[in-house]
Amino acid sequence: MNDTELISQILDGNMNAFTFLVNRYQKLVVHISGRLIQRQDELEDVCQEVFIKVYQNLGKYRNECKLSTWIATIAYNSSVNYLRKFRKFEEVNPDDSFALRNLADFRMENYEITDLKRYIREQIELLPIQYRTVVTLFHLEEFSYQEVEQITGMAEGTVKSYLFRAKALLREKLKHIVDENSLKLVKEISNEKG
Amino acid sequence: MRKDELTEILDRSLSGKPDFRLPVDFAQKVTTSIVRRERWKTDLLDYFSLTAILVGLIAAASGIYYLLDKELLIRTLNFFESNWVPVAFLIFILNFVLFADKVLLRLLFSHWKTD
Repeated sequence: MNDTELISQILDGNMNAFTFLVNRYQKLVVHISGRLIQRQDELEDVCQEVFIKVYQNLGKYRNECKLSTWIATIAYNSSVNYLRKFRKFEEVNPDDSFALRNLADFRMENYEITDLKRYIREQIELLPIQYRTVVTLFHLEEFSYQEVEQITGMAEGTVKSYLFRAKALLREKLKHIVDENSLKLVKEISNEKG
Repeated sequence: MRKDELTEILDRSLSGKPDFRLPVDFAQKVTTSIVRRERWKTDLLDYFSLTAILVGLIAAASGIYYLLDKELLIRTLNFFESNWVPVAFLIFILNFVLFADKVLLRLLFSHWKTD
């Protein structure tokens, strides 16, 4: 069943269709809200609120963008509002030197026991909130620059800049492993795990 | 070259899924919660609509009596004045039955279901 048929069924009062929609998009919502809120115990309530808003506003959805983009926008706005309520969201340009200090070091001697991918994933959670958001939307959910702009309200240039800076911070933390021998080992580990 | 390879590893890791999870029955829970909310709204609306109809009927009857027969109105008012306790009690009971049927009982049932 495609999204248009699904919406039409929900608007006709078919609640099973709505359950189907929640199942289809709950990963998208949990990834966006999870990366922003970072609290497993509060995540379910926020995600529930997102889908209630989706249900209440579904009649206003006009096919001007993909349904996933529209739901992602609701998830982003709900999560930001939730964080604002507890004053955990600051709309300032992130301080990269502070962010770099906030990241953990990747220990060379732990190569054989540490999963590099997992290390990077853990560091993503320590990045400034704006970076985490664009990384999640662009890399994980594979939205285009225009769609990320639409979801977050950030200008396309800002989105690109945040993505570049997020990667630069991670690369900075990993620059000491970039040599022939260590890279070979990293690739071996990555291939084994991946 | 080495930089490119690190970039590739970084890109792959950036698209890795975070560890946040929702309960297996999340979708069903959301749907149940929405159904309950919608029913609550409908019940409340029903209750206020019926109350409005009741009040409207009383007002209309009073208006007709007032315009057609003043003596009757005076007698009616005297009746209400001398029997205001049972009349008020009757109105209260009727209203409470309506409220219990449309709001309280359904709220109680949905609360039991949740438990």
